[in-house]
Amino acid sequence: MLRLYDYLLSANCYKPRLLLSMLDVPHDLVPVEFYPGREHESAAFRKINPLGHIPVIEDDGFILRDAHAILVYLAGEYDPARTWYPTADPRLLGGVASWLQFAEGTADTASAARLCVNFGYEFDLEACVAGAHRLFRVLDEHLWFREQEGLDWVAPAAAPTVADIALFPDVALSEEGGISREDYPSLRRWTERVQRLPGFIDMPGVLPVAPLPYPPT
Amino acid sequence: MTAPDPASLLHPVAAGADLMPRHVVRSRLLGRRLAIWKADDGFVNVWEDRCIHRGMRLSAGVNDGAELVCQYHGWRYSNRNGNCVYIPAHPGEAPAGGLRVATFACAEKYGLVWSGGSPDAEPPSIPALEGGEVLVLRSLPVNAPAALVLEGLAGYSFRPTAALGTDTPITTSADAGNPHSVTVTATTTGAESSVVFFIQPAEAGRCVIRPVLSAAPAPEERLATLRHHARALEELRAQLEDSSPAEAAVALPLATLEPLRSGGTAGAAGGRHPQLQVRVARKWVCAEGIAAFDLAPVAGELPSFQPGAHLDVHLPNGLVRQYSLTNGPDLTGVYRIGVKLVPEGGGGSRCMHQSVHEGDALDISTPRNNFTLRRDAARTLLIAGGIGITPLLAMAQTLARQGLTWELHYFAQSDDHVAFDEMLAPLAEGVTTYCGLSPQETGAELTRITRHYGPMQHAYLCGPGPMIDTARSIAAEAGWPTEAVHFEYFKNESARDDSSAFDVTLARRDQTLRIGAGMSLLNGLRNAGIDLPSSCEQGACGTCIATVLGGEPDHQDVYLNDSERAAANRMLTCVSRAKSGQLVLDL
Repeated sequence: MLRLYDYLLSANCYKPRLLLSMLDVPHDLVPVEFYPGREHESAAFRKINPLGHIPVIEDDGFILRDAHAILVYLAGEYDPARTWYPTADPRLLGGVASWLQFAEGTADTASAARLCVNFGYEFDLEACVAGAHRLFRVLDEHLWFREQEGLDWVAPAAAPTVADIALFPDVALSEEGGISREDYPSLRRWTERVQRLPGFIDMPGVLPVAPLPYPPT
Repeated sequence: MTAPDPASLLHPVAAGADLMPRHVVRSRLLGRRLAIWKADDGFVNVWEDRCIHRGMRLSAGVNDGAELVCQYHGWRYSNRNGNCVYIPAHPGEAPAGGLRVATFACAEKYGLVWSGGSPDAEPPSIPALEGGEVLVLRSLPVNAPAALVLEGLAGYSFRPTAALGTDTPITTSADAGNPHSVTVTATTTGAESSVVFFIQPAEAGRCVIRPVLSAAPAPEERLATLRHHARALEELRAQLEDSSPAEAAVALPLATLEPLRSGGTAGAAGGRHPQLQVRVARKWVCAEGIAAFDLAPVAGELPSFQPGAHLDVHLPNGLVRQYSLTNGPDLTGVYRIGVKLVPEGGGGSRCMHQSVHEGDALDISTPRNNFTLRRDAARTLLIAGGIGITPLLAMAQTLARQGLTWELHYFAQSDDHVAFDEMLAPLAEGVTTYCGLSPQETGAELTRITRHYGPMQHAYLCGPGPMIDTARSIAAEAGWPTEAVHFEYFKNESARDDSSAFDVTLARRDQTLRIGAGMSLLNGLRNAGIDLPSSCEQGACGTCIATVLGGEPDHQDVYLNDSERAAANRMLTCVSRAKSGQLVLDL
């Protein structure tokens, strides 16, 4: 059985948890006490990941760290339709990779702000918040134009990709770090679309949305 | 020229396209946070973004299409008037009438949603946008004061769609026709185009630019046009934010917006006074001997109601009658009631059938609910006899909309007596009708229907007296506790005895009244100036209930269940009296 070294309140661990659920992959969660125990930095955990980070997965002896790398692996291994990580279309694939890189930015700003506020990390909170707003402005405009083209997701495909999963937690939890989404109406609509995907699971801080009256068949 | 008070005008607060189904838009105007949502009936609600319970933002809530649900403790607010209609922590009680979120005026024009100002204020009229199809461009929030932004927008430069990708010379002119918008017109050989920039003053130092293009381009040029303006506006924003003072030195007048109050004149809370005037918008025969009425407001929005609610209708012949609302949460804008003709009755139903017509005005009370529906049951059984379908129909629609588990069993004299077909049809999966059964057959069906009781199940009964009596005793035998069986009688058919005389002490007033034989406690209280609300005045509806602090009540109503009677801590003042010589009431 696939194992995910996980912490419930971590935005980065939520990413693989979400995709595992959406792909319906059976798995075991191995809780790592990130806060306050800092178990991810313990000698025992460094044997699994010398960098002392979560998440990490272990799949039949194969160990992989870093949230976005794990998303790419899971989509490649467990999505026979090849829509979550669309290797058949080089331009689309390039777009997905570019948004994964963008999500490193949201993790370093929006999610870092949340680490300051909720978990006592001593980053420059003001810089994190300002950086997150810069990125959210770009993403909101991008998603607004996607809507104008009749498309729902971050990458220009009919189906969601790992880029949506990589961005969702940083965006959906941003207000815990003091980053309001009032100025980003397209971003607010996109998070609701992600939440309505089959297999979506929430985490503390992600509030449920209303089901649509006539769910698309 | 003195600028008009910004708080008295309508301002844009969202784009019409932002109001997606089952979505709640978060916005802000003059420092006031707004939650904006469109119900399934198309009504756009602009509310203060604050649950009246614990202050949670309603824009984080769930729009279920007819009610907005707060994420914190699940308080539900109804479409149109913002009244709280359900509090999960008090599942068996109707929320008090005053529990209501602040609502604001709303209008839609030029593809934008407008709010603020007085209820009769109108969005501005801009000549450039009249008489043609417009295109709403992407709005842009700016961290700069509105005055500075308006000034900067006058210098906006763009190319008309027909001249995109060319380098023909462009001339632009700006016209600040009103203090809250700027019209910029670009002209080139053979092409002219205007953009109107409306400003949403969000708060001091921050506003939202909402641009509208005068002539919608052809579909194939739409995206290019949108991108052209988005880029130009983005550039302008960068300049504005750079030159904006770091501290918001130009403060906007953060005036408080007055909530829109509506729903007719509020009458006195007590007594049986009409509180609202309505118009009979539609009257039709919905089954053999049953007339249905849609009652529409004369002005404003009707006060909200919960499933199980009834209202008093003050008839032209002077009688006052109670009718249950059949409305589910989706039927807004009217109260729908059903009236069964009872030829040998007191004249109420005859008057409704024969003398009340479409277009007539009627005086009514606001809806009251003493037959409240819990929305936390594992399974809800609804059992209707005849015209008793009316409150249960409202309940079935509410439970169906929320995806809860329910079944409706409807006993009628014949197929022709089955009322409200068109409202039952969408509920068909949960509805079973029984026509023309004898009392024995009805009893057998009731035994079958109630045979499986489980924890957190609730049953609601409404119908003729003998049927409710039978259903209650059958349910009790099947193990249903009295708390789980809720009922509403049409009328109190039990023999009543008002020969007793007693004293009643009003604990909060330190006053004692003598209630003599032949006088009701309710009238005794009214004679002493205590105007208790009442409705049916025969012990069936529960409106005139009072809390008993001492003494033994002589219950003569059909509203309280057996355990409530035994508890002896509440009584209906219209028919019930005292077994002891003295009663103490919490009045």
